[in-house]
Amino acid sequence: MLTLAFDTATATATSALVDDGEVLGERVSRAQSLLEDVDALLRQAGAHPSELDRLAVGIGPGSFTGVRIGLAVARGLALSLDVPGAGVSTLAALAAGAPGALAVIDAKRREVFAIVDGEPRALAPAELQLAPGTVCIGDGAIRYRDLFEERGAVVPAADDERHLPRARFHAALAGEAGPVDEIEPLYLRVPDADA
Amino acid sequence: MILGIETSCDETAAALVTEEGEIRASVVASQAELHARYGGVVPEVASRRHLELVTPVIRETLGVAGATLDDVDRIAVTQGPGLIGALLVGLAAAKALAWSRRLPLVPVDHLDGHVASLYLQPEPLEPPFLCLLASGGHTMLLDVRSHTERELLGTTLDDAAGEAFDKGARLLGLGYPGGREIDRLAQDGDPAAYAFPVARVPGLDFSFSGLKTALLYAVRDLGEEELAERRADLAASYQHAIVRALVERTQEAARQAGRDRIAIVGGVAANSELRASLPAAIAAPLSLCTDNAAMIASAARWTEPVAYPRYLALDAYASR
Repeated sequence: MLTLAFDTATATATSALVDDGEVLGERVSRAQSLLEDVDALLRQAGAHPSELDRLAVGIGPGSFTGVRIGLAVARGLALSLDVPGAGVSTLAALAAGAPGALAVIDAKRREVFAIVDGEPRALAPAELQLAPGTVCIGDGAIRYRDLFEERGAVVPAADDERHLPRARFHAALAGEAGPVDEIEPLYLRVPDADA
Repeated sequence: MILGIETSCDETAAALVTEEGEIRASVVASQAELHARYGGVVPEVASRRHLELVTPVIRETLGVAGATLDDVDRIAVTQGPGLIGALLVGLAAAKALAWSRRLPLVPVDHLDGHVASLYLQPEPLEPPFLCLLASGGHTMLLDVRSHTERELLGTTLDDAAGEAFDKGARLLGLGYPGGREIDRLAQDGDPAAYAFPVARVPGLDFSFSGLKTALLYAVRDLGEEELAERRADLAASYQHAIVRALVERTQEAARQAGRDRIAIVGGVAANSELRASLPAAIAAPLSLCTDNAAMIASAARWTEPVAYPRYLALDAYASR
């Protein structure tokens, strides 16, 4: 089963082509040029878009615009190719790439996105409960490194690849594929009337 | 056929148009009600709604035309100007559709789209002509020389005409979108009741911010009861001032450019006083005055398509 996976919720986006668990290719991307990377992945594998069996798309949390670009691409592909898909939490995919670590995404406005008590939330970095020795990864962990390290957490070096989302994990985490139009974005914030 | 997609502001729209400019289907999902309680378009609210609506609107368009994506030869999409987050939703969906079918993509300027609303069947207008483009986001005078050449003769220095209507409506305690509300209320008012200023800026440019301030003062000087009594007069006088500015500059621009035909496009072209004040002007049908995708597909007939794979990294622009 050929799965195209991608996530554009964070500043560094990711895409991967996975065939029954085998990663055929994985690329680092930007939201606006996501399809350039998708195109390269398929060419490299000698595959045509019509051969895709399933999409796995990151639903956030992250940049609102980034989340929407990924989902709009997924919806366009699904409409054109009649292919089903599954949404995957960006936090869950990040965590899957760093077992035991806490994924922390920069939410801007002095907040971060993280899983708290099993639920994704937007909160001030100082509000995060951190057991000593907790490994924090993600762009939020890098941004608030000093604050987290002061409180006994461990933040790997900025170039550690565990900080970056990798779409192979989205493919691995994707549940049962259904209509892509029904995959909801995970914004975690109401829109600002004055934004 | 050309599939057009438009998501630059608060209308999610798709259309199928033939090479000859015949509209096979044009679907517009307006978000006006969603934004009404804010008295204007909230960009993040608009972008969220575009994502929900973009593929359903395309599906409906295909359904109305009895067509499938196999009938589509190229995809036209608004690249800008507009709300960047809103534009990116339409552009991402359009790129995905084009890429998956190896179709060319035609990035269309929203302003070219408004002008190209005049080129659609059943009565397409042939250039040259002088065009007033007045909407919630733009107020421009264009010398349209051919299907591909236009010169900007004048533009607004501050608010767009449609924005002036919306802000005026808010000051008068009317609903959104304001143009329609003011137009309706003005029918019962005296346009000469208040002498609102028409800004005298040099050349063929417009300025509406002083007018808005004048209305603000007029409203403030009235008590609540008095305001209720004079609301129709205020609306009529305010509308008259906006329309007079538009008409004077448009006629002067036509004279300077040597054009004997005037066309009006954009949402403000739906205003009844504007239409009555320029009786000889050619106006697009009301359904094509406000944002729609048929005009985007129409503009694509004269815009160079971008072949696969060069459009994959294409970005939207908020302004030029």
